[in-house]
Amino acid sequence: MTDVHTPQADPAGTEADPAGTGAGPAGTEDGPALDAVLGERDAADAPVERPAAVAGHFGAVAWARWAWRQLTSMRVALVLLFLLALGSVPGSLLPQQGIDPAAVQQYYNAHKTLAPILNDFGLFNVFAAPWFAAIYLLLFISLAGCVLPRAYRLARSARALPPRAPRNLTRLPNSESYPTTLSAGEASAAAATFLAGRHFRLNRGDGWLSAEKGYRREVGNLLFHVALMGVLVSISLGGLFGYKADRLMVEGSSFADTVTDLDAFHPGHFVTAGDLAPFSLTLDKFDASYVMSGPDRGQPSVFDARISYTAQPGGATRHYSLQVNHPLNVDATKVYLIGHGYAPEFKVTDGRGKVVYDQATPFLPADQATYLSEGVVKAPDAKPDQLGFAGVFLPTAVDLSGQLESAFPAALEPAVSMIAYRGNLGENSGVSQSVYQLNTTGMQRVGTAQEVLTPGQTMKLPNGEGRLTFVGYKQWISIQVTHDPGQVPALISGVVALAGLVLSFLVRRRRIFVRAYGDESGRTTVEVAGLARSDVGGGFEGEFAELSRDLREQLTASSKEQLTASSKETE
Amino acid sequence: MSVNTGLSAVSDHLLMVAVVVYSLALLAYAGDFAYGRRARAAAKPVARPVSELAGVGARSADEPAAAGTSEAGDSPAEAEAEETPVSGGSDGISPGGLEKGRQARGPLIRAAIGLTFLGAALHLTGVITRGIAVDRVPWGDMYEFVTALTCVTVLFFIAVMLKYRAWHLGLFVMAAVVVALGLAQTVIYTPAGPLVPALKSYWLAIHVAAMTLSTGIFFVAAVLGVVYLFAERHGRLVAAGREPADHGVFRRLPGPEALDRLCYRTVVFGFPIWTFGIICGAIWADQAWGRYWGWDPVETWAFITWVVYACFLHARATAGWRGKRAAWIQIIGFACLLFNVLVVQTDVTGLHSYAGLS
Repeated sequence: MTDVHTPQADPAGTEADPAGTGAGPAGTEDGPALDAVLGERDAADAPVERPAAVAGHFGAVAWARWAWRQLTSMRVALVLLFLLALGSVPGSLLPQQGIDPAAVQQYYNAHKTLAPILNDFGLFNVFAAPWFAAIYLLLFISLAGCVLPRAYRLARSARALPPRAPRNLTRLPNSESYPTTLSAGEASAAAATFLAGRHFRLNRGDGWLSAEKGYRREVGNLLFHVALMGVLVSISLGGLFGYKADRLMVEGSSFADTVTDLDAFHPGHFVTAGDLAPFSLTLDKFDASYVMSGPDRGQPSVFDARISYTAQPGGATRHYSLQVNHPLNVDATKVYLIGHGYAPEFKVTDGRGKVVYDQATPFLPADQATYLSEGVVKAPDAKPDQLGFAGVFLPTAVDLSGQLESAFPAALEPAVSMIAYRGNLGENSGVSQSVYQLNTTGMQRVGTAQEVLTPGQTMKLPNGEGRLTFVGYKQWISIQVTHDPGQVPALISGVVALAGLVLSFLVRRRRIFVRAYGDESGRTTVEVAGLARSDVGGGFEGEFAELSRDLREQLTASSKEQLTASSKETE
Repeated sequence: MSVNTGLSAVSDHLLMVAVVVYSLALLAYAGDFAYGRRARAAAKPVARPVSELAGVGARSADEPAAAGTSEAGDSPAEAEAEETPVSGGSDGISPGGLEKGRQARGPLIRAAIGLTFLGAALHLTGVITRGIAVDRVPWGDMYEFVTALTCVTVLFFIAVMLKYRAWHLGLFVMAAVVVALGLAQTVIYTPAGPLVPALKSYWLAIHVAAMTLSTGIFFVAAVLGVVYLFAERHGRLVAAGREPADHGVFRRLPGPEALDRLCYRTVVFGFPIWTFGIICGAIWADQAWGRYWGWDPVETWAFITWVVYACFLHARATAGWRGKRAAWIQIIGFACLLFNVLVVQTDVTGLHSYAGLS
């Protein structure tokens, strides 16, 4: 009958400190130190170990012990929790490098003096900043320092019996006493049978009985906290062994999941090119539909990318409809539809009459509402001069008093408007260029008017320098390829945490004490008392009242049986 | 999928009438404080130990609680249905209002309660008709979210009110609900419309439902937390023998300890639902955006809110943090939640920009 807690002053004067925390019975209904999630922290901090520290020599060991006790105390944990919340705030209000690098650049341009200072504090990458890591690592160390010893104590107490019943049960917050015709021993035995039937863990002595139930509360509480650590581990697992990649695909094009074929590749620390899943896929067709009328006109309603893919080279070709909220799962890797746009098809003929460019060219949406998109065409093989074109694609072109605009995101009246340049595209300068931008430093504009072309129309450059035909358009999608081995562990941890949380909130740990004693006249009195060691949801009083009533009925029934039996005997 | 405009207009009207009815209820609650049976409160000072909220009269309350409310109301009643009076409480500051088995007394308070019920019925019908009109769950944009969460708030409060006979708390809850629902209809009203592809997922029903439910519950907790802070101050003044003459209102309210406990239980009820909502959000984010957690501003604030409520739960178990400080933490937690809904989701660019406001 070892109590896991160190007995302390017991205000109720009971033998065994029933609350086990020094809070005493008075504080057990919602016992301050007991009923929250980490309720037992304070108990663990209680001045149990203090003598070692105040013994005199404050050596390194004493300091370390002191620091450890501070770190694992509830107060420091609370402060760390607050810091965690506080530290997350700038991460949501300032643009973040990991989420939107372009926005960070904009911020830099707009706040020239402030931005570098903020950057010195890592505020543009809060969730990867060392100080943020310091907060959560300290918090988790603190958590481990509290939870692991408690788990150990719980495991040790797995077979421990509840402490002996206090001498004076009527002084406990919930108690009742009533007479019975059974003898003290019989009453005690009947009560034991009754409580065992209710799945209480029992400890019996001479004339007393103590019973405890609800160990699952502590289990739930510990599960919750251990699972939180599991979430953290899962996230780092994903960061180290996972990868994320992007790729833009025009209708009809294919790609294989290899590093060279990806537009952007963000591998985890331990990921090599060989770890990529060997699938390949083709975009057959992309459909976007929009609300055509009403107040929500122009709002997208369906995005559907019809793709064919093979999981392994030489494997069977399968078809899939890739949609938002409907990713493709292939070989522990997921493929997501994350963006789309238009790719007008252009044909460029140079001054010699030779076709030097003939392909669909992805344009990037500049306006999400109308899908007015911007892009360039570069024809480096054109002679005598290289040719370049920059302009816009308008899915539904309308002329608003001389200003060309797109009125709708779907391609109802597609048109392009391009400006032509000739000269040197500068692709050999050694500086890498974006395919979406035209470097016009070595070029000069050809013609003056900006021509609007509809499919099939051609724009001729003056002096027979060449021509550009707007053949038609295709659509493109951007896909994200993700492999995250931490995902499933994170989900499991999350579910376990939730289960533990609910368990720790629902289950109350409580003790029932019974004492039966006879007086000189041969009458037996039964005293029953109950004590909730934790009662988050409240309601122990009700349970006790019911238990006590049932027990009384049980005792009455037993005594009746006995009476009948004895009357039969006398007959 | 088209929008049934006739039905959505019916929903708009129902909700408008609900606000009017709630406002009348609010007036009745206020009138009861001003003109109701002052004598009763004055005649029985400190008559009983204040553990009312631990469940005095819970048994008699069980039946109406189960019958009178829908999904939001049932579970707390079930969870605590076994309660009976506590035999001893330590505070005897404010005994008003919650005597055992007591029905609401006085025509004004009865009218207030009746109007609360009527308003809740209209409100719930309004939310449901909106859902039928758009042929999906009625929490697809910000306006729908606020109307749904205030509906949860009212239903949850009705459950609390019936269970703990805490009629007079209606004043505060109704005031908050009238403001929230009124603002929803004027500032962020959005006509019924179809969903963007990113929202077309069964996770909308699960994730946003959990968020709506827990927000509605936290709303009640926050209102109670504010009332607690005033009651606590009043309690200190009384203890110091300096009860201000105009503080009669507190005689009708549960004592600070009882309010504190009620706040705590409300948060304990809402916290796992919030946690569940975050987990579902993560699963959905993985489906829709290719990662389960990406520190999107709304995710970040959901996390901050979660951490602050965790602080509250821990603070209540830490010496020196109980009571007033814990109550403040709880209120800060709700402030974070509100900030997330009202500022981050509408003004900060992120993936959760579905508010439907432009």
